[in-house]
Amino acid sequence: MGDVLRGSAVTALGFQNLTLGYERHPAVHHLNGEVESGDLLAVVGPNGAGKSTLFKGIVGVIKPLAGTIDRNGFGAREIAYLPQIAEIDRSFPITMYDMVAMGLWRSKGLFTGIGRKDHAAIEAAIAAVGLTGFEQRAIGTLSGGQMQRMLFARLLLQDAQLIVLDEPFSAVDAKTSADLLALVQRWHREHRTVLAALHDIDLVKATFPETLLLAREPVAWGATRDVLTPDNLNKARRMCEAFDEEAEACAVVAA
Amino acid sequence: MRGRRRVAPPMLYTILIAPFADFEFMRRALVGSLALAFSAPPLGVFLMLRRMSLIGDAMAHAILPGAAIGFLLAGLSLFAMAGAGLIAGLLVALGAGLIARATLLKEDASLAAFFLISLALGVTIVSAKGSNVDLLHFLFGSVLAIDDPSLFLIAGITSLTLLTLALIWRPLVLECVDPGYLRSVSRTGGPVHIVFLGLVVLNLVGGFQALGTLLAVGIMMLPAVTSRFWARDISTMIGVAIGCAAFSGYAGLLVSYHANLPSGPAIILVAGVLYALSVVFGPVGGVFWLAVPRRHLEA
Amino acid sequence: MIARPILLLSGLVAGASALIVTPAASQETPKIKAVATFSILGDLVRNVGGDRVEVATLVGPNGDAHVYSPTPGDAKKLASANIVFVNGLGLEGWMTRLVAASGAKAPTVVATNGITPRRMEDEDRPGRMVSDPHAWQSVTDAKIYVANIRDGLDAADPAGKAVYDANAAAYLAKLGELENEVKAAIASIPADRRKIITTHDAFGYFDAAYGMAFIAPEGVSSEAEPSAKDIARIITQIRKQKIPAVFLENISDPRLMERVARETGATIGGTLYSDALSGPDGPAATYIDMMRHNIRELTKALVGS
Repeated sequence: MGDVLRGSAVTALGFQNLTLGYERHPAVHHLNGEVESGDLLAVVGPNGAGKSTLFKGIVGVIKPLAGTIDRNGFGAREIAYLPQIAEIDRSFPITMYDMVAMGLWRSKGLFTGIGRKDHAAIEAAIAAVGLTGFEQRAIGTLSGGQMQRMLFARLLLQDAQLIVLDEPFSAVDAKTSADLLALVQRWHREHRTVLAALHDIDLVKATFPETLLLAREPVAWGATRDVLTPDNLNKARRMCEAFDEEAEACAVVAA
Repeated sequence: MRGRRRVAPPMLYTILIAPFADFEFMRRALVGSLALAFSAPPLGVFLMLRRMSLIGDAMAHAILPGAAIGFLLAGLSLFAMAGAGLIAGLLVALGAGLIARATLLKEDASLAAFFLISLALGVTIVSAKGSNVDLLHFLFGSVLAIDDPSLFLIAGITSLTLLTLALIWRPLVLECVDPGYLRSVSRTGGPVHIVFLGLVVLNLVGGFQALGTLLAVGIMMLPAVTSRFWARDISTMIGVAIGCAAFSGYAGLLVSYHANLPSGPAIILVAGVLYALSVVFGPVGGVFWLAVPRRHLEA
Repeated sequence: MIARPILLLSGLVAGASALIVTPAASQETPKIKAVATFSILGDLVRNVGGDRVEVATLVGPNGDAHVYSPTPGDAKKLASANIVFVNGLGLEGWMTRLVAASGAKAPTVVATNGITPRRMEDEDRPGRMVSDPHAWQSVTDAKIYVANIRDGLDAADPAGKAVYDANAAAYLAKLGELENEVKAAIASIPADRRKIITTHDAFGYFDAAYGMAFIAPEGVSSEAEPSAKDIARIITQIRKQKIPAVFLENISDPRLMERVARETGATIGGTLYSDALSGPDGPAATYIDMMRHNIRELTKALVGS
């Protein structure tokens, strides 16, 4: 019941003067703003813009150097997260089916057995990503595209209200990304909040209503057609520099 | 006696059954080996998959300072030395595990550092006392000499291990295959890792005390490594590993009996033969099948 | 490359320090410094040497002379010794290297000179016979030890000859009494019960001298690991020959013995001291105490029910 209530609250995520980074160097610098519940938000920016860092901060992998993230009551563990490079040991002897089944973790916990309803859900998720027939394959035998589909199936099972995807389509072929994009749109229709870090500007313009253009500092945030202007894109490209080893402590105080 | 079954030919009975029927020490050795054959191989499979296969040897040395302190406090008391050895082993395993999680070091480097320091500490303590008694030799048992307390110890450890594994199965598997995902959905990753290491140390130290180092480490790792060639998913691997371990215990004791070989090594040699056969003929990646050209399948 | 000169220098320093360790020339000190390889031998030397000799032992009480690893302290002791006593007959395999490494110049007395050694089958090479080194288990042979020790001390320290001869004579008398005690004790055991099992095959001389059978499941060295067949054989033997008692001893794994005893119903006897004395507070602090302790334990286990 708590999920339903949270789902209908207005703000899903709030950033207050958020700075995230590594060894005191900021990778995301003074980000302010709110992600509204039900948003389909693309996070765009050049390499090194801080997109992955922002997502890691959102799901709680790293802690802010300054500022706060308000998850509006979500536990960091109730967010479904697809990292850019999964730390998956592909030589581990586990079947695709069992990997997908791990998506039921939050509802099953340590002991609860997987019943018939759960099996049905798992099979439905596998079908939704087009991997029916691959259930018993060891994960080490899957291609890149099949792995990504498998991870999406797991995300489906997680049934989370907030879904964060880091470069979900960068290493897969066009058919796979089209199929997976359809899933993203399905989540949007189900009023889940989805954030995706993406490179493909055309894809974003075609599919994502909201965009955050990030180049360490936020360049623009709002409706996609207002954000992704040539001016803004140029500004973003100029703003991304390497960490400065000689940098002084940041003088900008909370706005 | 009527019945459909005929009495087995005496020759087979003499070879396969009689040694256990005639001698209690053989029965006890079998029970001890079989008990360990159920709890150690599953742990061994996980250790192998996490690239920690050499932890057994490291642990045999790491427990020395514990045994030494136990000896200093209570003399040649098996209970004190084994108990203190267990604590030392746990400290080494947990310390290495925590350091590996918290710093740049990986498991193997962290463990190497810890066990070497531990061993040196142990040798120093022993030398300080001046006695020449080989503590570890005293502490390490032999499968033929397994007494009641050791039998209960092994049985207890087996039960505890199997129950605990059933409990932490999911997070343990996840921790091996996709720790990032586990971290994103649960906080149990760290505790599960520690519990797992605790089980490993418990099985090793208990195994050392009851059955000796070679047998304890061997039964944990050899069947696990063998199972890699027979299964593609972890549950089946564990089943195969347990089967190998149990068979090795039974057959090894028979070999020790009939061929007059020391028992611990005999059991491990049988396990070794199974391993060798599997490397060559195992259905998953066996060398023979890779070398023989076979027609590919339709789809 | 800076590493090479550093390596060369380190090598020179290491070589130089090895040369610096030269044994001090032995000086005439008030006490003769004697080194005995193990505790039993040390006790015998002490009894003959008396106050004139300061005895250091390498393998201490409860130690195992078969598999001993010498320490740098031992090398030092040897280097400054005036006289060294070894058992011989293959007991101290590590001794030759240690003597060479320590650069000891002291004369070595082999305590078993003149003893007719027992032959036994070599553990590692069946069919090949080697000497059994445990000659001290026969009091008669122990007397020869004492004689050799006395002669050795006489030669190394002629000034003390009178003292050594007197001490030796007194001690030999004690050994004579001891021998009578041993014979009497064995006689008190019924003839068909004069057999025991023990883990250490060190009592061959005792067996030969006094008619007491010591049957061992393992070989002479305490390192051998038994096979299941060995254990089965022992159990069968105990059952068949009705051997009444099983004895532990202070070196090998006692759990094996308990197993065998439990399965055969044999009595578990106390500890027998075979290769080393006990600590000073223990029941076998001297050679004579050790023998007395052993026969006491034997009679207790075998005469009893």
